Amino acid sequence: MKEYILLMVSAALVNNVILARFLGLCSFMGVTTRIDTAVGMGLATTFVITVSSMADWAVEAYLLQPFGLGYLRTVTFILVIAAAVQFTEMTVKKVSPPLFQMLGIYLPLITTNCAVLGVALLLVEGRMSFIGATLFAFASSIGYSLVMVIFAGLRERLALAEVPRLFAGPPIGFIVAGLLALAFMGFSGMSTN
Amino acid sequence: MTVTVTEENPLDFGTPAMVEGIAQVVAVEGTLVWLEPEQTTSCGSCASSSACGAKGIGTTASRLEARRFSLENQAGLVVGERVVVGIRENALVKASLTAYAIPLATALIAGAMAQWAEGRDGITMAAMVGGLLLGLGLARLGASRLSARGELAPRFLRRADAAIVCHPVALNKPKAGK
Repeated sequence: MKEYILLMVSAALVNNVILARFLGLCSFMGVTTRIDTAVGMGLATTFVITVSSMADWAVEAYLLQPFGLGYLRTVTFILVIAAAVQFTEMTVKKVSPPLFQMLGIYLPLITTNCAVLGVALLLVEGRMSFIGATLFAFASSIGYSLVMVIFAGLRERLALAEVPRLFAGPPIGFIVAGLLALAFMGFSGMSTN
Repeated sequence: MTVTVTEENPLDFGTPAMVEGIAQVVAVEGTLVWLEPEQTTSCGSCASSSACGAKGIGTTASRLEARRFSLENQAGLVVGERVVVGIRENALVKASLTAYAIPLATALIAGAMAQWAEGRDGITMAAMVGGLLLGLGLARLGASRLSARGELAPRFLRRADAAIVCHPVALNKPKAGK
């Protein structure tokens, strides 16, 4: 139990997908102008990362490793991720068409989010059990969502601040992202995993 | 459809903020109008996509067609008009929680219980898939409840200005000869 808690804290905070591994930066800068859109994107990405990681683990354990097809890992994982996004899109549409109309915008963005592939490759590197891999993927995506929401909150405040003209827009966004990354460095040392 | 957000009345802090998007009227059926959201690419761009290099996933007409929705035609809209529609921003969060958080929670709980009881990867995997399906069923119930309360329905806000596009280059393009 303690092992899993450490694994999750490490994945979410210490080795944060965005601020420590620098994955998913496109959506980090692009979908964080408002907290509600950041929450929507974060939850959609959390769902896709967790589901696709479960599928990736199964493909790795039952197909790629037994048949010595490790060199096809990246291509296979990209296919699995695209299938997971398509599955999510179809499921949301089937479960509730109004929900699909409201949330459908985020799903195409996730297919090209490198954080999804990055997490899948990391969990293969870690040689974890199925539950360990799923919790690692879930915690990584929670860390992703947390940073997205914090950054969106900061950007909402920045929109009200008087920023020098040269720094207005993306430049001050990058500076704030750097400061946020420094703040998250404070978590290093909590876990050695 | 969810790109920009404004307040209905910025001075009234009791008024919930709206998430706005631009949609185009594609059909009029009696008192109903059918609208298609104007998001055409994965970057969230709109009518200025001809000036934009972002093409790829999410650009097909069928994808937009799948996201068509209807509204009561109280404003006398005609086919081809561009309008600004909106939903309450807390509805977006509620919808996201319903669609994604419930299935994930049930899958993880089922997986954790199976791991604790059996400790084998195959059983845990099957339990998680079962939990996911159960969660999707619960999400369906939750979504129909939200839908019945009208929380997921977009509202017509105003007609869109023809100059509203998302691509700043298209707007600020200098005229030839200047």
